Amino acid sequence: MAPPPNEDGTTNQQDSTNDQHPPISTIVIIIAMQTEALPLVNAFELTEDANSLFPKGTPWVRYHGIYKGLNVNIIWPGKDAVLGVDSVGTVSASLVTYAAIQSLQPDLIINAGTAGGFKAKGACIGDVYVASEVAFHDRRIPIPVFDLYGVGLRRGCSTPNLVKELDFKAGKLSTGDSLDMTPQDEASIIANDAVIKDMEGAAVGYVTDLLKVPAIFVKAVTDIVDGDKPTSEEFLQNLSAVTVALGKAVTRVVDYIAGKSVSEL
Amino acid sequence: MATHSAGDDERPISTVLIFAAMDSEALPIVEHFKLSPDDGSLFPLGVPWIRYHGCYKDLNINLIYPGKDRDLGNNSVGTVPASLVTYASIQAFKPDLLINAGTAGGFKVKGASIFDVFVVSDLAFHDRRIPIPGPDKYGLGRRRSFSTPNLVKQLNLKVCKLSTGDSLDMSPQDETCILANDATIVDMEGAALAYVSNLMRVPAIFIKAVSNFVDGEKPIHEEFAQNLQETVLKLQKVVAQVVEFINGKCLSEL
Repeated sequence: MAPPPNEDGTTNQQDSTNDQHPPISTIVIIIAMQTEALPLVNAFELTEDANSLFPKGTPWVRYHGIYKGLNVNIIWPGKDAVLGVDSVGTVSASLVTYAAIQSLQPDLIINAGTAGGFKAKGACIGDVYVASEVAFHDRRIPIPVFDLYGVGLRRGCSTPNLVKELDFKAGKLSTGDSLDMTPQDEASIIANDAVIKDMEGAAVGYVTDLLKVPAIFVKAVTDIVDGDKPTSEEFLQNLSAVTVALGKAVTRVVDYIAGKSVSEL
Repeated sequence: MATHSAGDDERPISTVLIFAAMDSEALPIVEHFKLSPDDGSLFPLGVPWIRYHGCYKDLNINLIYPGKDRDLGNNSVGTVPASLVTYASIQAFKPDLLINAGTAGGFKVKGASIFDVFVVSDLAFHDRRIPIPGPDKYGLGRRRSFSTPNLVKQLNLKVCKLSTGDSLDMSPQDETCILANDATIVDMEGAALAYVSNLMRVPAIFIKAVSNFVDGEKPIHEEFAQNLQETVLKLQKVVAQVVEFINGKCLSEL
């Protein structure tokens, strides 16, 4: 087990305990939208699976390849068969995370994507955050214990060295299945102390916790939730540019990960 | 509507998968059909999902529920655990039919009464609002259940539309969406199960018993707790009738 972190939050490399901390070998990157995925597929020169790992009938797509000694897999839930839109949201994300872990046995899951940011909490368009915690804001069950269950608070895998070295922002992520935000959502998001808001993170976190796979959440801000512009408009306007920024950030994350064990992150 | 190969319609249903969200909904059914618990080796190590199974006349019955949350100990309700355990179970058992049995909140104003048991015709979500043309429909996730006109007629069951959301309470926006879904009853899993069963090409039917009003005077969770025991018994009776009806029939005869 890793010793406690240094005072500045970084940790030292473990030479004598390398057997307990093998280098990361297989990573799975869960990405909800094709626009978010393609810059990374290109950056890592991955190829789409011809014979799907996944059951017939599911639209789920796997891109894979070797990059800097890592087995890199990008999993995208694909387009809805009837509507032709990205299969966003918690149900698709949880299914695809489960299926990917079952098939690929990854050492690490990275959930990468875009998010809304709260300017009151210091978020700006284009910022890249690593989520320290994830929680739901749209699963309100006002009965003791069920209330906590609904919120589903979980910590991301601790990556103090990564965050410091790559100079990312760290903050709490709140997840819900709606792109908009009702007053009840807002109250829950504030209670979650979140700086960013997405539609998959806490669901990916639920599955990775269930199956005991370390997970990190990398989110790039496309819109300011507590700003003047309507979310859908601002999101669509900035999506293209921010996915490029997200792609660069995740590439740096994977470059950083290569050759390291989870405890060194 | 779930698609399946035409040949399947013409041979008798053999394997049935029953999903309930809570142990209180599941166990009366387990008891009635005298199902046996699994040894726990079916699902990945550490997941709390529970499976009972057994034979009843010509049917292999598998009953699954998501079990207790590992950290908090409560029943793992809601769309995410339901989707996961149903996906894993469909992969494992390749059922001919999925039956979702559960409790639901009912709208007095739409004519629902406590202890009513409905067969659901249409399902949709009410808490996945994505105001962009295209994604909006995806969020709603409108689906029809597998059509069972003979079953409904023979068992004299009421039919209605169901709206699903991950909250037990109901915000004003939830209420607007539920009314737009034209739902008589609300639950916390149905539309997600419709999504998964559709994806996996398994026909699905939904049997829901009303435990509480959504538009009544009593607080939802209080009324739910008060009526739960009696509601799950009513639910079990109808599920038993449904399984009895299904036995020996093929999908097209339902």
